[in-house]
Amino acid sequence: MSDAVETVRELTERDYEWGFVTPVEEETVPPGLDEDVIRLISRKKEEPAWLTEWRLEAFRRWRRMEEPRWARVHYPPIDYQAISYFAAPKQKERPKSLDDIDPEIRRTYEKLGIPIREQEILAGVAVDYVFDSVSVATTFKKKLEELGIIFCSISEAVRDHPELVRRYLGSVVPPGDNFYAALNSAVFSDGSFVYVPPGVRCPMELSTYFRINAAGTGQFERTLIIADRGSYVSYLEGCTAPMRDENQLHAAVVELIALDEAEIKYSTVQNWYPGDREGRGGIYNFVTKRGLCKGVRSKISWTQVETGSAITWKYPSCVLQGDESVGEFYSVALTNNFQQADTGTKMIHIGRHTRSRIVSKGIAAGRSQNTYRGLVRILRGAEGARNHTQCDSLLIGDRCGAHTVPYIEVKNPSARVEHEATTSKLSEAQLFYCRARGIPLEDAVALVVNGFCREVMDELPMEFAVEARKLLGISLEGSVG
Amino acid sequence: MVAARHRAPATALVRLGETRLAHADAGALAGVRREAWRRFLETGIPTTRVEDWKYARIDALLARPFAAPGPAEPAAGTLAAAFAGGPRARRLILANGRVLAGPSHVGGLPPGMRVLSLAEAIARFPERVAEVLAEVPDPGPFTDLNTALAEDGAWIELEEGVRPEVPLQLLFVAVGEPSAVMAHPRVVVRLGAGARLHLIESHLAEGAGHVLTNLVLQVRLDEGAELVHEKLQAAEGGHALLARTSVRLATGARLRDRVATVGGDFVRNELDVRLEGEGGEALMAGLYLPRDREQVDTLVRVHHHAPRCHSDQFYKGVVEDRARAAFAGRITVHPGAQDTDAYQQNRNLLLSDEAEVDAKPELEIFADEVRCSHGATVGGLDEAALFYLRTRGIGRAAAEALLTYAFAGEVVTRFDDPELAAQLRRAILARVPGGGMLDPEGLVA
Repeated sequence: MSDAVETVRELTERDYEWGFVTPVEEETVPPGLDEDVIRLISRKKEEPAWLTEWRLEAFRRWRRMEEPRWARVHYPPIDYQAISYFAAPKQKERPKSLDDIDPEIRRTYEKLGIPIREQEILAGVAVDYVFDSVSVATTFKKKLEELGIIFCSISEAVRDHPELVRRYLGSVVPPGDNFYAALNSAVFSDGSFVYVPPGVRCPMELSTYFRINAAGTGQFERTLIIADRGSYVSYLEGCTAPMRDENQLHAAVVELIALDEAEIKYSTVQNWYPGDREGRGGIYNFVTKRGLCKGVRSKISWTQVETGSAITWKYPSCVLQGDESVGEFYSVALTNNFQQADTGTKMIHIGRHTRSRIVSKGIAAGRSQNTYRGLVRILRGAEGARNHTQCDSLLIGDRCGAHTVPYIEVKNPSARVEHEATTSKLSEAQLFYCRARGIPLEDAVALVVNGFCREVMDELPMEFAVEARKLLGISLEGSVG
Repeated sequence: MVAARHRAPATALVRLGETRLAHADAGALAGVRREAWRRFLETGIPTTRVEDWKYARIDALLARPFAAPGPAEPAAGTLAAAFAGGPRARRLILANGRVLAGPSHVGGLPPGMRVLSLAEAIARFPERVAEVLAEVPDPGPFTDLNTALAEDGAWIELEEGVRPEVPLQLLFVAVGEPSAVMAHPRVVVRLGAGARLHLIESHLAEGAGHVLTNLVLQVRLDEGAELVHEKLQAAEGGHALLARTSVRLATGARLRDRVATVGGDFVRNELDVRLEGEGGEALMAGLYLPRDREQVDTLVRVHHHAPRCHSDQFYKGVVEDRARAAFAGRITVHPGAQDTDAYQQNRNLLLSDEAEVDAKPELEIFADEVRCSHGATVGGLDEAALFYLRTRGIGRAAAEALLTYAFAGEVVTRFDDPELAAQLRRAILARVPGGGMLDPEGLVA
């Protein structure tokens, strides 16, 4: 292999910057999972009886389910009894104002570059901070309340808006949907809840920042977003975790519901700790995300930039039920070292004249394995449905793998489904061209990769795009080789 | 016990197999057969929960009370209609899996070319047959079943540099019998270095019934050898076909594989191609036109093991009525297979509200110096093209027939043998709605 490759390898070996641990006192339940643990979690959160029963039912189903094996990811068996299912920074009650937040936690978010304070002052983004299993702060609540928008932790929503939660929780991802969704339904600790009332256009990006801090725990958050008729909301999600030799489990569930003519834009920059260069440690990211375009002309758009996690198993999907509804999926998945990503989407066309678009960019470096897995299903009644899928893979080095596994199932003759995919190598010619113009190799690689991903990056809200571009560069350091 | 997501084979099938094995061959061949039978019983019949069988519903097919096939004698007229390869072509004819010596014609072959029935090969050199039958990579339950029970078929060998001028045709006839029967023909093709063969494979049926043909064609191409394999499947009348083709290519070897499916209750075409030497080339094309309640399932696996190889898959489908078609193609570029060029296209025309098309075009890549791409489309006829034809005074039905025919034509033109291509054109017109309005002669360019 050429020098260029060697240099990229050097470049990609920069370390994970977010790997510190915050020394806060945490309250955790002992490892293990049985009905008592679930009752304990439910009691700690002062949940109503229906929710406790809902969790227990999910747990009973989970016990009968098998871990999925079809994805192209390999890992030693997970001992689900060795995980602690609840960890929370110790505090007597939820801080009443941002000033009451534990200074250590505040410092954590400052180190991560998202100071809780500043966000409040600088305006623009309302953030819900989830630290290990619980939400520690939500900013901009008042301003949103004036518009009737509910943005809070899901625990608060259970308490303050039980009718909404009960109506929609599990309506898109039922508790028995899959192994990890069932586990999450049984033990979810917190997460964000959003409700946008009819006709309201949410004036700012809503955001959740997830941080795993405690050792020996898993994180199981649950997000529920409901956009009522004619409303619009854009939601951002970011995540990091400390560096540890152990593998930590993250099994989240995200449910989106868009009613008539509503639109939800959901963006993720996932940067969980990916493990070290030898493949030790890292987060196992087994996530179920699904949106239901329930109403006519509703729209759900997923954008994800996946650079972290040792293993990613994630398929943000759209169920296009309302006539003329639209689903979109824009994804960049970058793997390096020993990371494994099996990610993609499902577009289920039920309604008439539904449309979906998939743009997936996979980048594999080091010894990583990067798989796109997607399903486009056109049901009998989806008259005039359209799908276009484009799926490109870029290989950096000859020890990694890039795979494409699309499924296309069509039952309506008026539908039109197109899929195209390419796989190629990071172009030596393009790198050489940049270098000949005095651009250092590191920048040249970032430039070419960012160009490759541009269609997806353009979909990210501005606040996130900058971070995502930087992440791509950093995650690739040391990969050309 | 059988493998996960598999089902135990029906008792009738097991009993038939045990009986056959009890008084079969001796020596090494008996060992190979018993081993394959054991694997078949251990694995069982795949259900739709097995990834490679996701879209294939074979349960009912295999649950039939199979009897051993009796002697079958198709009429001369039936056979003659399917003759291809020109007047001088050599021909081996098999009815329900057994070679018919009478109508077959494999005499006067060039020196260094040998064409035998498998039964004869077993009688003459059983040890060698045993060795060769055991060498199919990733056999799977139906290849194992074939290995265990194959009694007849063809043994085709060309020595180094032998390049016969005329094609060899294998003609498989499914002859309806009162009870369901299963046939397990096996075809072995071995081409020495620089040899070349044009092999035509035709499938047809005489009379309705339930003949399930479980065919395995295994091919080895030595350095620089070249095989043109053209296959026309037109066995209408309730019959089913499981056809596995397995090809291994050495350095610089070339394969051209064409298949058209225009009849058969259930047809499964599995093509497994392994490019094992540098600079090999595999060009594959296929067309399927299921109608009524027919099902066509295509599975293509191309393995690039060596550098500088080229592969190209081009498959098209026209699906009508309540028919179902599935295409699953996979290109695997193994570590070290640098400078690979691999392409895959799957295009489908869905013509009915009750039909279904499933496509699963996969790429699996472990090397970086590659150019790989694939595309898949599913849709109806192009309204703009229809409108254009109608403005030229062509009625809607005729315009639809013309466009459908043109869609299929892209694969037809890839067939080399003019007689086979003509048979295929007629079959397409008979199947395309409104095809009767078109003049086949006028359409042939």
